[in-house]
Amino acid sequence: MSRKSGLFPVFAVLVILSMVLSGCGGAKPAATTAPVTNATQPATAVPTPQKKVATFIWTQEFDSLNPMYTNMWFSTTTHQLWLCWAWNFDENNEAYPNLVTEIPSLENGGLSADGKTITLKLRSDIKWSDGQPITSEDFKFTWQMFTDSHNAVNSAYPYDKVSDIETPDAQTVVVHFKDPFAPWIFMWRGILPEHILRPVFDADGTLDKAAWNMAPTVGCGPYNFVEWQSGSYARFAINDNYWGKRPKIDEIYLRFVPDDASQVAALRSGDGDLGTFIAYSDVPTLQQSGIKIMTQPSGYNEGLFFLINKKLGNPALLDVNVRKAIAMSIDRDGINRDLLLGLTKTPASFWDALPYYNNPPLTNYPYDPEAAKKLLDQAGWIDHNGDGVRDKDGVELVLRYGTTSREIRQNAQAVIQQQLAQVGIKVDLSNYADDLYFSGYGQGPAASGKLDIMEWSDGPSGFPDPDIYYWLCSEIPTDSYPAGSNWFFMCDPELDALIQKQATQTDPVARQQTISQINQMFYDKVYWLGLWQDPDVWAVGPRLSGVKFSGVTPFFNIADWDLTQK
Amino acid sequence: MTRYVIRRILQGIPLLFIISIILFILMMNTGDPIATMGGRSVTRPADRIRLTRQLGLDKPIYVQYIYWLIGNDWTKVDLNGDGIPETSGTRRGILRGDFGTSIVNRGTPALTLIVQRLPNTLLLMLASEIVIVLGSLLVGIYSALKQYSTLDNFITTLLFIGYSMPIFFVALLSMYIFAVLFKRWGLPYLPTVGMFDPQVGQTAGQVMLHMILPVLSISLVSFAAYSRYIRSTMLEVMGQDYIRTAKSKGLPRRSVVLVHALKNASLPIVTVVGLDLPLLLGGAVVTERIFAWPGMGRLFLDHVSRGDMPVVMGILMLIAVAVVVFQIITDIVYAWLDPRIRYD
Repeated sequence: MSRKSGLFPVFAVLVILSMVLSGCGGAKPAATTAPVTNATQPATAVPTPQKKVATFIWTQEFDSLNPMYTNMWFSTTTHQLWLCWAWNFDENNEAYPNLVTEIPSLENGGLSADGKTITLKLRSDIKWSDGQPITSEDFKFTWQMFTDSHNAVNSAYPYDKVSDIETPDAQTVVVHFKDPFAPWIFMWRGILPEHILRPVFDADGTLDKAAWNMAPTVGCGPYNFVEWQSGSYARFAINDNYWGKRPKIDEIYLRFVPDDASQVAALRSGDGDLGTFIAYSDVPTLQQSGIKIMTQPSGYNEGLFFLINKKLGNPALLDVNVRKAIAMSIDRDGINRDLLLGLTKTPASFWDALPYYNNPPLTNYPYDPEAAKKLLDQAGWIDHNGDGVRDKDGVELVLRYGTTSREIRQNAQAVIQQQLAQVGIKVDLSNYADDLYFSGYGQGPAASGKLDIMEWSDGPSGFPDPDIYYWLCSEIPTDSYPAGSNWFFMCDPELDALIQKQATQTDPVARQQTISQINQMFYDKVYWLGLWQDPDVWAVGPRLSGVKFSGVTPFFNIADWDLTQK
Repeated sequence: MTRYVIRRILQGIPLLFIISIILFILMMNTGDPIATMGGRSVTRPADRIRLTRQLGLDKPIYVQYIYWLIGNDWTKVDLNGDGIPETSGTRRGILRGDFGTSIVNRGTPALTLIVQRLPNTLLLMLASEIVIVLGSLLVGIYSALKQYSTLDNFITTLLFIGYSMPIFFVALLSMYIFAVLFKRWGLPYLPTVGMFDPQVGQTAGQVMLHMILPVLSISLVSFAAYSRYIRSTMLEVMGQDYIRTAKSKGLPRRSVVLVHALKNASLPIVTVVGLDLPLLLGGAVVTERIFAWPGMGRLFLDHVSRGDMPVVMGILMLIAVAVVVFQIITDIVYAWLDPRIRYD
């Protein structure tokens, strides 16, 4: 009997057959692709050789393309491709007109002296991609849709501050606010096409289920949305009806690649021309592969927040000298140098990315553990029982420090725990998934007063507007107001008054002075402690040129981007 | 047999109800969908209050379960926050085939999202399962027949190395070698990520090419377990009297092994495959994430991390139903394979 088994050829044939059969199973584009869109042009395949086609890697897939239903950066960043804002922001995060003829100001009469009325003058040549003109009716419709109770929008702010909008003619929009509203620059980030969506709203009573949300076939940017294949990619092609500068790149693909390491591999192999939110640990590898790393401040800084409340928190944190001691016990420059490869700096101010408001610029508390120990001794926190942890009136100086489970944060926590232990402060660490950490009062650990030290990346809420609101006394969460955002459970009447005041000051000079006072107070009272700057980190492949970024409208100069062919 | 099948199906119904209640309670407590709606910023308080009401998340958990089960079109909801329910509900409930609309992809039916991704997952997972089963059969049978031979030991060692490696390591390593480095060295290379190159389109060739690395990663990790099952059951069966009889009757070796031995040895494998098949629907979460494969695993991960109840419950219930159905099918296949097994 032959001992030679005929099994291996059989194995090879079977494996090949199964691959072929399963591959054939995928060759039915109509059935398997079933795109999210239901009103798109067919996915016509191969671009002609002359077309310039760029691929951007997106590490998160957007949840919706309608600005009403998303606050995802990965969605709003696409707006400068296919949608339009009233004004865009350049590489210095300064506003310049897009749909309007000029940015409203007190001088040109666009802003009223009492801060309650803004008048926008629209260009007369702006149109939607289907040729219809963009008019004041689109602006009024946008406000109506954001504030209608039948639309479950992600955020109605700041449209919920508006009392009425008048449209005396097609190029004039008069916005009336209930109260003087200083952060108005945050408005009009994505105008909705009234002629497309009004019929949908009238028929369904809501825009929640509009096809346009997932397939916005009519837009107003230099590109048109073409298709969005769930989980795979989205595609944008040149808008021939665009009223602005025609881009040089003909088509842009956004490929959804959730894993950071996979994004790096795709960039290195040339499967993508642009990468987003690059981890600092990947920067050297990418640079060695000829990929350029560009950083752009976008208002965000990683920092520590403190629970300053007699009932909920450790009494130590009520004492500003203890908070100062903590500031001096952490080698923040060392964290930037060692964990972030020296690619960022320690921000001294919450408005670090807004030099106009961080004025005069703050300097960081120095890393000085000996001075910190002295401060703690003077504050009465001494290790009476010899267990290595300071105490006072029978209370141990043990702080609960929690953040999300992102790796860089866990690394920083470990370092900070060690450094605070050296000055006699014990820290208990905890980590949570994002959707649990940022849950509200009663469910989220921070919102429920369970963490003495909290950490996340944040900045002024309407960057580049300097507005803040978390620290308002009225925002302390309670059983009757669980949505409160003052997760520090602290009430500083002087700070509260200044925060309320700056929100009403439309005169930039007066506002700058108020914010400067808040800035100084944050420093003097250590209400916030910066760890590292958190700019947008982009990886730009060698084929792209002419690339600039903004921290607010990243693709503001997409029309100037060019692509050398492979 | 028919009576048995009907009885099993009827038993499955209360089981699915209990599963749905347990999963619902579990999912409700694992995160807040509104927590991540602020994007990079914390969700604003006024929006938190409004969205909690508009999305029906302010209702007690049992009311939310009832709405999920039978809908809310028989009642009114308060959308404008004045405390008076004024708008008719629009949900019909899962018992009437309405899986609800996604909270994250606002307004998109959960079933639509699932159906878009399901074929991609089945493609990947079935291909992987076929490769695993066929490969393991070959290796397992060879191992049983040539027990402790040099080749047997060598293959077994390789398989256990593969089994011990975490799948993300295998996936990333294979991506770096066959996609990044091969391209750099001028060798024929594989693509890094995705199901196909969007610029070329979703053709059979593209999908097959993009499937090679993910299928390889999933298979390498599972070969060892399956092949060892087959090896041990084959060894047990090959030692039986009826096999000795078949040999002594002069039947060809192929017939003895593949017809008489394998059919009986495959009973435990049928159990394992039967249990595995419904879980295929869940996709391979890690593999899909690394290779950016647009499957159910990624859908589940993306939506559970944002507390999107309708989609997550839809996926979980689909898997629960599949488990119940496939268990019944497994029992039927058992009876076919082994005439001694009777259920009536």
